[in-house]
Amino acid sequence: MLPLLLLKTAQGHPVLVELKNGETYNGHMVQCDSWMNVHLREVICTSKDGDRFWRMPETKIRGNTIKYLRVPDEVIDKVKEDSFKRDEKRPNVARGRGRGRAVGGRESGPGGRGGGRSVPGAPARGRGRGRGE
Amino acid sequence: MLFYSYFKTLKGKEVTVELKNDLAITGTMHSVDQYLNIKLNNTRVVNEQKYPHMMSVRNCFIRGSVVRYVQLPPGSVDTEILHDATRREARGG
Amino acid sequence: MSEAGLADLVGVTISVITNDGRNIVGTLKGYDQATNVILDDCHERVYSTKTGVEQLVLGLYVIRGDNIAVVGEVDDELDSQIDLGQISAAPLKPLAH
Repeated sequence: MLPLLLLKTAQGHPVLVELKNGETYNGHMVQCDSWMNVHLREVICTSKDGDRFWRMPETKIRGNTIKYLRVPDEVIDKVKEDSFKRDEKRPNVARGRGRGRAVGGRESGPGGRGGGRSVPGAPARGRGRGRGE
Repeated sequence: MLFYSYFKTLKGKEVTVELKNDLAITGTMHSVDQYLNIKLNNTRVVNEQKYPHMMSVRNCFIRGSVVRYVQLPPGSVDTEILHDATRREARGG
Repeated sequence: MSEAGLADLVGVTISVITNDGRNIVGTLKGYDQATNVILDDCHERVYSTKTGVEQLVLGLYVIRGDNIAVVGEVDDELDSQIDLGQISAAPLKPLAH
């Protein structure tokens, strides 16, 4: 199983991301791409020493700054389901499972699962690396 | 490619790989790939008292990017072949 | 036997040493070209000079390849003979350079 496939499957689930600089980000995975860039919502950032916290509505993290990600245990079983279902449906052309990105969806465009609906007037602040004082 | 080809000739030989975290691992060279990742068998950590972290590991994969040195058995370096290969590489062939 | 790769370690207990000196043990579920790995049911073994090795439960992890130094195949039999509580050592140093 490919690590990036597991991360794709983790979309919509809570994850923990630790960066190489020791900061950690807890939030819901909205989307990730093949460079491991990750988009989180409802994020709590924790400083390296664990004594300072920042909340932010949304964060995008560049893949190459990541040390590791923690994913809920059940996600690994969903990967199997996903690939199984995909194989099952192979002969049919149209599948479009669920909304948003999922596995073989179209690329680009904002928002992942239900974006814009669950976060009305999506706040434009608070992206980036949480360097607040 | 030269070092890749060269390391391939060391398959089956005993080497010590020193990492950039000062850990040194001795083992039999099993394989090497294009990134110079190295697989060792029958591994033993040098100074296991100080580094007991791999006591239950006998085979390992070492990421090429963390290798500082590869210590070779003295007899295993055929300088003639290496010279030739180096010249060939320098000529771009 | 395959070429240098992690193919023959899938499904096996492995011990990962990361660039920051941590030691994470778990079941290898997958990997890719960049040495990114999926570790299931994993725990961290925290070494200290003051006490024995402490184990922290971590769960399901994806570790990025460029943060990995060594992937070791854990010999379960050897491992079960080791009393981690009796082992005391400094943590590994983080990678320099």
